[in-house]
Amino acid sequence: MKKKYVTLLLSLVLGFVFLSDRLLRAEEPIPLEKPDQIILITAERFTFTPSKIKVKKGSLVEIVLRSEDTDHGFRLEAANIDKIIPPEGKGRLRIQFRAKKTGRYPFECSRPCGAGHNLMRGEIIVE
Amino acid sequence: MPLSHKIFVTILVFFSLTTLIFAGDDPTLEKRIEELEAKMQSLDPTFEKKTKSISLEDRIKALEKGIEDLLKDHSSSDDSNSINNQKENSLNTSPDLPLESQDNSPALEVVLIETEQQGKREDEIRLPVAGYMDAHFNKDIGEPGELDFHRFVLLFGHSFSSRIKFWSEIELEHAFVEGGEPTGELELEQAYLDFLIKPYFNLRGGMLLTPIGIMNERHEPPAFNGVERPQVETVIIPSTWFDMGIGATGDLGKGFRYRAYLMGGLDATLFNAEEGIREGRQKGFFSSSRNPAKVVRLEYTGIPRLTIGTSLYSGHSGFNLQSTNPRVTIFNADARYRYHRFGIRGLLAKNWVSRAGQLNIAMERQTGVNPNVASQMKGYYIEPEIHMLPKHWRHDLAVFTRYESFNTQEKMPLDFIPLPQFNRSARVFGITYRPVPDVAVKLDYIFNRSASQVFTPRDTVNLGLGWWF
Repeated sequence: MKKKYVTLLLSLVLGFVFLSDRLLRAEEPIPLEKPDQIILITAERFTFTPSKIKVKKGSLVEIVLRSEDTDHGFRLEAANIDKIIPPEGKGRLRIQFRAKKTGRYPFECSRPCGAGHNLMRGEIIVE
Repeated sequence: MPLSHKIFVTILVFFSLTTLIFAGDDPTLEKRIEELEAKMQSLDPTFEKKTKSISLEDRIKALEKGIEDLLKDHSSSDDSNSINNQKENSLNTSPDLPLESQDNSPALEVVLIETEQQGKREDEIRLPVAGYMDAHFNKDIGEPGELDFHRFVLLFGHSFSSRIKFWSEIELEHAFVEGGEPTGELELEQAYLDFLIKPYFNLRGGMLLTPIGIMNERHEPPAFNGVERPQVETVIIPSTWFDMGIGATGDLGKGFRYRAYLMGGLDATLFNAEEGIREGRQKGFFSSSRNPAKVVRLEYTGIPRLTIGTSLYSGHSGFNLQSTNPRVTIFNADARYRYHRFGIRGLLAKNWVSRAGQLNIAMERQTGVNPNVASQMKGYYIEPEIHMLPKHWRHDLAVFTRYESFNTQEKMPLDFIPLPQFNRSARVFGITYRPVPDVAVKLDYIFNRSASQVFTPRDTVNLGLGWWF
């Protein structure tokens, strides 16, 4: 009798462990598609390096922006993006987009960063 | 069947049932499909939501077909609006690249925006204007020290459209200004409009910073070491130098960019032996347009954390003189680079003043004093730095040294003698502490030297606070 109960209890415990694993796995996010191109941009008074970026139409592009000094802005009107790049040592800004149309799309620093702020711009070229 | 076998079969059946129950029916996935079906119905009321008795895979296939049908309908209905859309897109697209079908979806479809913030984010309240300030304590060794709020600067701008932008900079030096008295200065250092045409060619007009040297266009206090700016850049260049002008700016690609301006020139009647051409800046105050100066700067920034620049300035400066019209030519080359914890910057500048001898004679006749202006002036400096703390730390501590040499009497016109006290050098040793990237606490000691045996400059200790917001 005792053995029966032990066996039943063991079955229930194992079953619970199995079910929990399935439930937890079901809530994991679907992994993002791997980008076709990853571009690192350095922002520093008063330049983006690189300032011209060429990508292929239809590709999934990831841009990672880091600042070398103050927190700069990154405005890309074609993607309706206007975000802050954290200051040096405080993090980075990551953006992924799919280049759907060919053309030239300017970006610029949107947070005043100094005397030469208006010089700080660049361009994404989709071919 | 023995008891142990019965137990084994029970366990096996239990796990099989469990697997069947959860294998093809994930509740979270089903919920997301339901949400998508609801959105699909709002886009296309004719879309038929499938019942739960059909498998999830079939429901996903139905959604895919519905989306394809919608896209087909959408692209065919936009053909009638193609002319208007082409005119709108021409502003932002190159005429050399073909235009796409006229759908209104964004050209760059965002998939992810993520700010990876390191450390605790501290709230900063942004003002509608930007600015920088620096306050100093300066003490010549052997003299009493001086406290000075050296600069209070506000910058603000406005975008009239994506192609017309305004930017300005107004500066108050030494805390207050009183007419007719030797006090501080209130200056409009920048106020211009940018007309953005092409990445490689844009127009600019208004009050402009002369594009020369490192400091003249990049002088936010946390951006440089030392309480005071390098003397080469304030005497030979002479920073901060601004005047009314028009010009062009652009990015040539592959890391090259330029600025080319026509600006108000210098006034030779204010040149002198000690400060060279510095006092000749007109600063846009009813600047004479008789001899506009030409200045061009080319920079290379194609490698991260490296900037190399060169500038050339040329302009006549004799609009206030009758008998002569000296031409001032300035050449400068500079570079700055940061590699991990090490940084270095350097600059070379040389001035030529034509007809300097005639200028000195004319000024002596006019004022009774010979200004002893040189026909050539030269200066250079080199400044290495080490950042002592790891980059991922919140604070930054840089230790630096700078060697400067500058001579406003480098070469004299015929029959004029150079004054050795203006052949100067300085060795600076200091630290810059940045608790956050936009605030700098600075301390330095300057060993000042000159070629004169009679006039020996004093060493200086300086303490400064500078910030940008």
